[in-house]
Amino acid sequence: MIGAAMPLAVNFEAILSVDFLITVMAIAGIYAILAMGLQVNVGYTGIPNFGQAGFAALGAYIMAVLVTGGPDGDGFMSFWLAMPIAIIVTMGFGVLVGTVSLRLRADYFAIATIAAAEAVRLFAQNADAVTGGNQPLFGFDNSFEGITDGIEDFLESSFGWDTPLFTGFVVVIWITLVLSAVVLSRMQRTPWGRVLRAVREDEEAARALGKNTFSYKLQSLAVGSFFGALGGGFLAMYFGVINPNNFEPAITFLAYGVLILGGLASYWGVLVGSMVLWTLIESTRYLDIGLSGQQEASLRFMVVGLVLILLMAFRPQGLFGKREEMVIGE
Amino acid sequence: MSDAAPTATARPAAPTGKGQILEVDGIVQTFGGIRAVNGATFDVEKGSITALIGPNGAGKTTCFNVVTGFYRGNSGSVRFDSEEIFREPAHRIARRGMVRTFQITKALARMPVIDNMLLAGADQPGEKLFNNLIRRGASKAREAEIHEQALELLDEFNLRKLQDSYAGTLSGGQRKLLELARALMTRPRLLMLDEPMAGINPTLGARLLEHMERLRKEDGVSFLFVEHDMEVVMNHADRVIVMAEGKVIAEGLPAEIRENQEVINAYLGGGASQKETERTQR
Repeated sequence: MIGAAMPLAVNFEAILSVDFLITVMAIAGIYAILAMGLQVNVGYTGIPNFGQAGFAALGAYIMAVLVTGGPDGDGFMSFWLAMPIAIIVTMGFGVLVGTVSLRLRADYFAIATIAAAEAVRLFAQNADAVTGGNQPLFGFDNSFEGITDGIEDFLESSFGWDTPLFTGFVVVIWITLVLSAVVLSRMQRTPWGRVLRAVREDEEAARALGKNTFSYKLQSLAVGSFFGALGGGFLAMYFGVINPNNFEPAITFLAYGVLILGGLASYWGVLVGSMVLWTLIESTRYLDIGLSGQQEASLRFMVVGLVLILLMAFRPQGLFGKREEMVIGE
Repeated sequence: MSDAAPTATARPAAPTGKGQILEVDGIVQTFGGIRAVNGATFDVEKGSITALIGPNGAGKTTCFNVVTGFYRGNSGSVRFDSEEIFREPAHRIARRGMVRTFQITKALARMPVIDNMLLAGADQPGEKLFNNLIRRGASKAREAEIHEQALELLDEFNLRKLQDSYAGTLSGGQRKLLELARALMTRPRLLMLDEPMAGINPTLGARLLEHMERLRKEDGVSFLFVEHDMEVVMNHADRVIVMAEGKVIAEGLPAEIRENQEVINAYLGGGASQKETERTQR
């Protein structure tokens, strides 16, 4: 074994296993959903939404609270009703945030959205009676698990495949992702998508041609927060419990990492970018270089940083972005 | 009052006699303590090519911004085709048929030339999100019409071969032409051009003027344009409006303006150096 003789060794067998792939696809799927919304906002409309973690928190908490009836509740609403309500309320919140802060210059808008997201998270942390505060909220995922278990049972009975953990989850989230990418890519080619791009390029020019740019920015934000809430829902299902720490601003920043790696203005890039980023992050687990658990956790983020630096140096447009669009500046 | 257009008959020169497309009355725009536009009053006649001139800092561009809804003026009145539009949002004013261009060209750089054109097409139901889900047919049908219109205009402006290039790759002159062509996609009744000849070579400038003359004749488009080149103003404008220090100080035929002592003083006085005056008056 060559690996054993080397100080730096990677356990390739583990990385190439199906179990590992499923693990990566699960977490990459969640971030791809979140980044899909960012792509609409940042890549196609030019509005720097930095509040995606907040939209995820709002979506997840509304869903969880409605299903469980709060920390001491014994069930209140069906998940199938709660999730759409959570998404719609979150979209409304996105529109509200946009209404009050979209008139700000781009960088101030970014700050306002971070603040809004933190406000949601801190509210969840402190509204003990409704959200359980720092105590995790659970017991909302039975309906969803019914679906994922069904998928896993089907795969097992039809193909005799002893499915690893999260297989059903991965099937559901990736079907959602592919559908989203198809629908969004099509929407982008419609006259509606064209106006969004015009807003990104030059808002005043768009206004001069009769486009209500403010309305389009709000619509974009509504779509972005739709994916925020959806991603939050999936995140809740992934963990099976939620607590406010699941929705730190770092979630938004990692989703931006996905966006930049995949490339701006490409929905398929989001899917690939998320897979690449999370494969790299999760691979660090299998680096056998004698690090403690904590050191390994830190290493994960160093990997993200290194990948983004290399990307900026050698392929600034990302994996799927158009180089011409990077070069043309005003 | 039985007279249909009382103001028009009072004017010394009414080339068309069709009345006013734009009536601006006493508009004021302040920025902090500065009154950039201080009660400007003027009219633009239907079917005319009207020039707006004045020394630097006279408030011409600010005036444009107030009239087209890009600034919310402090007070005054703006009537477009006899309807009050003062303080209406810019996009609504544009939809009424008063469309502007900018001093610094605003090509949508990372969009192809053809998309720049299609974007400006009016009445596209597909610009509403939900119409793309439920009324795709109407959107597609309108898109075909708009596309045809865009190709015609690109032909007229010699830009068709560039239709798939990113607008950001065009030369300065081509961008000016694109901006004008794009504005025409909206089927405007009044085009407001902020320094359309600035930064383009004389040949292209002459082409731009030809286009303006033709559009006025064929489609009845009226023009109001800001220009510093006095030769262009004197030879191509039907009427000239002169601004200085936020006010309109003279209005009339080019020949009258040339002789107007107040206009000459405005260019000479008000801190403008002799050199500046010579440059502007050429």
